[in-house]
Amino acid sequence: MKLLSLKLCNFRQFYGKTPGIYLASNAKNTTIIHGNNGSGKTTLLNAFTWVFYEKFTAAFASPNLLINKRAIQEVTIGTSVECWVEINFEHDKKRYQVKRKCYACLDEKGTTQYSNSQFFMLVAGEDGRWYPPLQQPEDIINRILPESLHQYFFFDGEHIDHIFRHNDKNKIAEDTKELLGVKVLDRSIDHLKKAEKILQHELSIIGDNNIKKSLKEKNRLEKEQAALSEKQKFIINEIDKKEAEKNRKSQQLLQLSSAEQLKHLKEKLDKQEKLLKKDLSETKKQIKELISHHGYAIFLSDAITKFQTIITDLRQRGELPSGIKQQFVQQLLNQQSCICGQALLEGSTHYEQVKQWMNKAGIAAVEESAIRLESQVHEIEQKVIDFWTNVDNKQRKLESDRLELSSVERELDEISEKFRQYPDEDLRNLQKQLDNLNQVIQDLRLEQGGIQQEINRLTKNLELLEKEIVKQKLIESKQQLAKRRILVTQEARNRLIEVRSRLENQFRLSLEKRVQEIFCQISFTPYLPRLSQNYELNLIDNTSGIAVPVAASTGENQILSLSFIGGIIDRVREWSQKNTLMGPDSSTFPIIMDSPFGSLDEIYRRQVAQSIPKLANQLIILVTKTQWRGEVQEETNNYIGKEYVLVYYSPKSDCQEDKISIQGVDYPLVKKSPNEFEYTEIIEVCRDA
Amino acid sequence: MSEAVDVEQVQEPITHASPEVREIIERVLQLEKDKLYLRSPRNINDDIVKIVKEVIQ
Repeated sequence: MKLLSLKLCNFRQFYGKTPGIYLASNAKNTTIIHGNNGSGKTTLLNAFTWVFYEKFTAAFASPNLLINKRAIQEVTIGTSVECWVEINFEHDKKRYQVKRKCYACLDEKGTTQYSNSQFFMLVAGEDGRWYPPLQQPEDIINRILPESLHQYFFFDGEHIDHIFRHNDKNKIAEDTKELLGVKVLDRSIDHLKKAEKILQHELSIIGDNNIKKSLKEKNRLEKEQAALSEKQKFIINEIDKKEAEKNRKSQQLLQLSSAEQLKHLKEKLDKQEKLLKKDLSETKKQIKELISHHGYAIFLSDAITKFQTIITDLRQRGELPSGIKQQFVQQLLNQQSCICGQALLEGSTHYEQVKQWMNKAGIAAVEESAIRLESQVHEIEQKVIDFWTNVDNKQRKLESDRLELSSVERELDEISEKFRQYPDEDLRNLQKQLDNLNQVIQDLRLEQGGIQQEINRLTKNLELLEKEIVKQKLIESKQQLAKRRILVTQEARNRLIEVRSRLENQFRLSLEKRVQEIFCQISFTPYLPRLSQNYELNLIDNTSGIAVPVAASTGENQILSLSFIGGIIDRVREWSQKNTLMGPDSSTFPIIMDSPFGSLDEIYRRQVAQSIPKLANQLIILVTKTQWRGEVQEETNNYIGKEYVLVYYSPKSDCQEDKISIQGVDYPLVKKSPNEFEYTEIIEVCRDA
Repeated sequence: MSEAVDVEQVQEPITHASPEVREIIERVLQLEKDKLYLRSPRNINDDIVKIVKEVIQ
């Protein structure tokens, strides 16, 4: 921030609008403002803090009385008077104009009532046009020069040591850290932790991942299925074997059998049984095919009825079929001649009469479709009848085949029974073996059926599991992403914690060194300032080789504080120029000091005067005549860019007038007021180039 | 002359981080810097989560 000018209106001692107080910068960076006690030096210091932060320094008495006494007395009761301070400054190649304004009026009891103050800001871009800022003006100021740090830039020299004697030492550490950008780190670290918590929560919402369990289960089911398939194969093989054996035994039985008749009968019946079984399965297959190809037709009866109602309705209304076609009427109109030979000229009555037929005539395409649909619907109706006839036939065939089969089986059973009773033992045994084989085959078939059912169940379960695994895989990838995000957030946070600790450590040491340099430059004592972990500033005497704390005098404390402020500004400036990640945007700082030489003796005055113009980029010093002695003037002379005198007008009739001589010219400091009010005027000192 | 702060050394944990971590840190710092003047910046945690999600996809 580079301060350019200050203007006041009815602010404390300053009656009406003051001329602009232009402030020095660049090589001659110091502005000196002379004034006796009560002339408004502290008021000027507080004009800055009021505009920027609506705050006042401790030395500013009665901060609730801002309005100029004369201005408020001159107006009638109830009339408001404005009171404002306006500051122009430059920051980051932009010009800013800020103004804080309030209104005051006298009520009937004679007390002054104030309105709330209002803050205005205008910004000028590089094109020179002024416009209101897009962000809140207060926010902009706070970003350029944070409010919490204002006491380091706008301070009362005589009370400067108070800043550091303050009980709350932590505050200084905090303030300094804010200037450094540590607050940015603190907040980042804190908020990253919270962000991590949000991410953890999101991870817990994704849910548990059972993919391992599901894969294990899938593996188990697949093994089970493989084992069952193997068993199935074995059983089928076994059945084949037993069937072959059975055939062999049957052949043997027939060969051994001496009863030719029985033998032939059994052969015939066996053949018949096979044929019938084949027929039965064939007929069942045909019924199934019939149902799947034509079964739908029986469900169409509702739709067919609906269709027929629509068609009947259209017919009754005479819309289907229509006797005359639209195409035919259009043709007559186009050739402009009726079939009776009457000319049809557009606009004539005949033309209109024929044209009206267009609405009554039907569309050929609609009629064609209706006819086609009707024939198709008719086909469907026929299909239903055919379907039932066919199904009935097949069912009858099925029934007769079944009856026949059961009689054949019965006959075969009887033959088997005869063999069982046969006198020849070999034959009886063979029949017994056949009976056993039949039983074994039946058992095996039953087992095969059971296994097949089990295999089907497993296949279904595997399908479900496969779907579940796909879902789990998705969850797994989501989880992995969430976990990675959490890890990265943790890492970012840890790295910032490390940066913070490095920064705090390095900066404190570097700041201590700079404070020591400045202090040693000013002070003639052998003491050394030390900066503790929490930025507590102490003087140490190290002459005996052992560091002993020193009870510092007021003057030494003052120098110590100045050194600290100078050190901070110097280091922060350097830091912000080098660093873009967390440091402040500002690298230019002004210092405004009220009575900086108050408690100092001659040597210290000289040393302080020598040092302070180098402390900040811009310096505004408010001094009394007694503080502005030869040595101070001599040391500061080369840095003075602007100089003003505050002339105090006293209403006291016997007031002692005072003046100050600058470069051989006398400037009044105290003058008699031409009226009954006290006020202050600002005069610029014309300095030789 | 006095000893200056070694910026390189201070920022080393950031500059030596993986590109993803570095991007997150830089964006978070910028976000915090922009909202530093607010006493309690609204939705900043969500904004940080958004940054992490954008960087890690």
